[in-house]
Amino acid sequence: MFGSIRIFMIGIMATAVIGGGVYVMKLRSDNAILKANAIKMESAITEQQELITKQKEDFQEILAANKKMNQLVSVLKKDLEDLDKRFNKKNRDVGKLAIAKTKSIERITNGASALATRCIEIASGSPLTEKEKNATKKSEINSECPSIANPNYIPY
Amino acid sequence: MLILTIFLTSCSGVKTLEIFKTEVEREKLNLDKPTPLELENLRWIIITSNNAEEVFKKLEEQGIDPVLWGLTDKDFELLAKNFARIRNQLKITNDLLDQYKEYYETETDKKDK
Repeated sequence: MFGSIRIFMIGIMATAVIGGGVYVMKLRSDNAILKANAIKMESAITEQQELITKQKEDFQEILAANKKMNQLVSVLKKDLEDLDKRFNKKNRDVGKLAIAKTKSIERITNGASALATRCIEIASGSPLTEKEKNATKKSEINSECPSIANPNYIPY
Repeated sequence: MLILTIFLTSCSGVKTLEIFKTEVEREKLNLDKPTPLELENLRWIIITSNNAEEVFKKLEEQGIDPVLWGLTDKDFELLAKNFARIRNQLKITNDLLDQYKEYYETETDKKDK
């Protein structure tokens, strides 16, 4: 009788010791995984922060590009308005002027046509010449499209 | 007891955190920009009722066929404005392309060009 109880108690104790051992090993293993997870999380947070910074930079770049394009549209619109003024300023009638001063209007037309041709070349990507880049006076600029031909010209 | 212990410890296991990175970049297009235009200059001749004969005579003297394509002053104005609009559109499209290239191509790509 006592023998059986003793064996049973030993069995329980052995089970408890083995179970405890297994549990401790499991805890150690979990601890190692948690440590590895923590390292990965830290790395992920750093990467996320880098991503957010990059996104902010991209956003700034997009804003700058939009601003640049809007400015371009605005200056080109002004060039077009200036062209309209050249034809219609103070009820100017180019036809009547051409009859009265045929030769000079012909000369002016050919001059403007050559400048307008150059404007199209520039608009298609032709690089600016030094003369165009350095033009700051009205007499030096391409009056057909100063906004794209003469970056250093400030209208006065 | 042993089975119960093993069962309980296995249930609440901590899983390993996996972070996947599967970003695959597209190949860069990197097309060359179109060659800028090189245009010829035109010669405009103004003809009025007063100088028509003289103009045609001069053309003949220069060996040019005495024929001209005509525009009224109003149509000339429209032509000039149409060209200015085309020019503006060309400039906008060209600059837009530059902006896209600048945004999407790295410094290295630009240097390679």
